[in-house]
Amino acid sequence: MIQLFNVGKIYNNGVPALHSVSVKIPSGDFVYITGSSGAGKSTLLRLLYCAEKPSRGQILMGGRNTTRLKPRDIAMLRRDIGFVFQDFKLLNNRSVFENVALPLQVQNLPRQEIASRVYQVLQYVGLEYKLRRTPLELSGGEQQRVAVARAMVVNPRLLLADEPTGNLDHDLAVEIMEMFKRINEAGTTVMVATHDQEILQQFPARTLTLHDGNITSDSAPPPEDDNEEEV
Amino acid sequence: MEKIRYFFRRTLLSMRQSPLLCTATIGTVAVALMLLAFFGLIVMNIQNLAREWSRDIQVVVYIDQVPSEEKLKEWIDQIEHYPNVEKVHYISQQQAFERFRKRLGQNADLLDGLMPEILPAALEISLSEQARSRAGTEQLVKLLKSNNNFHKFRYGQEWLQRYDAFIFLLRLIGSMAGGFLIFATLFIISNTIKLTIYARREELEIMGLIGATPMFIKAPFMAEGALQGAIGALLALGGCHLLYYFFLKKGLTALLTTTAAANIHFLPLSYQLGMVLLGLILGFIASLLPLRKFVRL
Ligand SMILES: Nc1ncnc2c1ncn2[C@@H]1O[C@H](COP(=O)(O)OP(=O)(O)OP(=O)(O)O)[C@@H](O)[C@H]1O
Ligand SMILES: [Mg+2]
Repeated sequence: MIQLFNVGKIYNNGVPALHSVSVKIPSGDFVYITGSSGAGKSTLLRLLYCAEKPSRGQILMGGRNTTRLKPRDIAMLRRDIGFVFQDFKLLNNRSVFENVALPLQVQNLPRQEIASRVYQVLQYVGLEYKLRRTPLELSGGEQQRVAVARAMVVNPRLLLADEPTGNLDHDLAVEIMEMFKRINEAGTTVMVATHDQEILQQFPARTLTLHDGNITSDSAPPPEDDNEEEV
Repeated sequence: MEKIRYFFRRTLLSMRQSPLLCTATIGTVAVALMLLAFFGLIVMNIQNLAREWSRDIQVVVYIDQVPSEEKLKEWIDQIEHYPNVEKVHYISQQQAFERFRKRLGQNADLLDGLMPEILPAALEISLSEQARSRAGTEQLVKLLKSNNNFHKFRYGQEWLQRYDAFIFLLRLIGSMAGGFLIFATLFIISNTIKLTIYARREELEIMGLIGATPMFIKAPFMAEGALQGAIGALLALGGCHLLYYFFLKKGLTALLTTTAAANIHFLPLSYQLGMVLLGLILGFIASLLPLRKFVRL
């Protein structure tokens, strides 16, 4: 369960990105965050990831207030979260395999386990035959899939994706969304920031619309998922 | 175990990945520490030399009336029990006269027809090493004055004053310049390592984003800094040895007598080990400083 209470964010340069956001997201939910460019979608996700601190308000994740965590606790929190960054944030001097392995290495898992989990997840996104390449030798869509693989490899309890289909043609976008749906069905909470209307229509789910730093609409859960969403 | 293995691999990989920066860091450490080592070498040798000179520091007591054998023995015994006295040596009138004649050399005939009795007999008292200073000699003279038979002394008061000042100055300059050099070294290495870290700030950021603890991110960089510092220190010792060999040994032998040059020594082993340790610690601290700025979760 994720809860935000009157969360506001003003960046250091004085730009207000979020005004006062209050929302409840039960575990296992699938939520879209949409809105025009600059509305604060990325900022909202970054706050959940503790990559930014809120200027005001409180954020509770699993009953825990995450607004004042020590660096070490932030690190621990992030191990349970997968994040697909808008700009991927891959290491260009390391191979696809090493990039995807990184979140597991950081947790000191045995090498054998790392290798098999990385291979599995790369197979899942269809890149197992390019695991020796570096990100710069991949297309934009392939890089995006590496970013998705890195987010999924830790079996996260919460998956945050910032425009995960922005660089993909429709077929690949659908594939990625289907993966997210599958992860969601396995119990992971998924939050996707996007302004891809086609995706929104093809994979309907609860949708938060941001406008100028405020939530202007929280869509009624789609009818066919009614009982699942009304927790 | 897995962790150590990972850190070790990352450290080596990162050094191989940016060989230019790595070489630059090691080179900077080497040059800076070589200056420090060479400076230390010179200070140490001057100090050794000064210790050599200080052997000549002694208190001479002139004796007007030549005493009886027993009396003399008693005096010597008494003086030898004073603190910080190393040796007491009696110079009879005859010995003093011979010495004087030798010193005159060619002009020795000036003394022809004179009796040895024109020169007083004397007790030459040398001091133990820690008392070879103005304070030390003056303390001894005070004790000697308690014996009424002694009232004429010579102990090179002026020379001693200058010697004391020299040693003081040497220590002052030595520690000031040494401290300054260490700080400058730290500053320079820190800036070079900052370049390494800056070049990889993206990696640091990403590591943090995917759940690495700050310590996990920093450890390979600190290990790298320490390793580069130690390697730099080894190179510095090598370079310092070359400087020492060609400038001090060969150069000075040409200028001075061989015996003077033979008294010049390289840094003792303990100092050399200390130097490597210093490089290691400097590299470690120097990487810690910029890391604090770049690793933020
Ligand atoms: N690091 C930052 N420093 C200062 N201002 C920022 C920063 N990141 C975002 N902003 C500002 O905050 C506002 C919200 O940005 P945000 O990235 O959250 O928008 P977004 O909804 O994700 O937009 P897009 O759809 O283009 O990705 C914008 O006005 C932006 O200029
Ligand atoms: Mg964005």
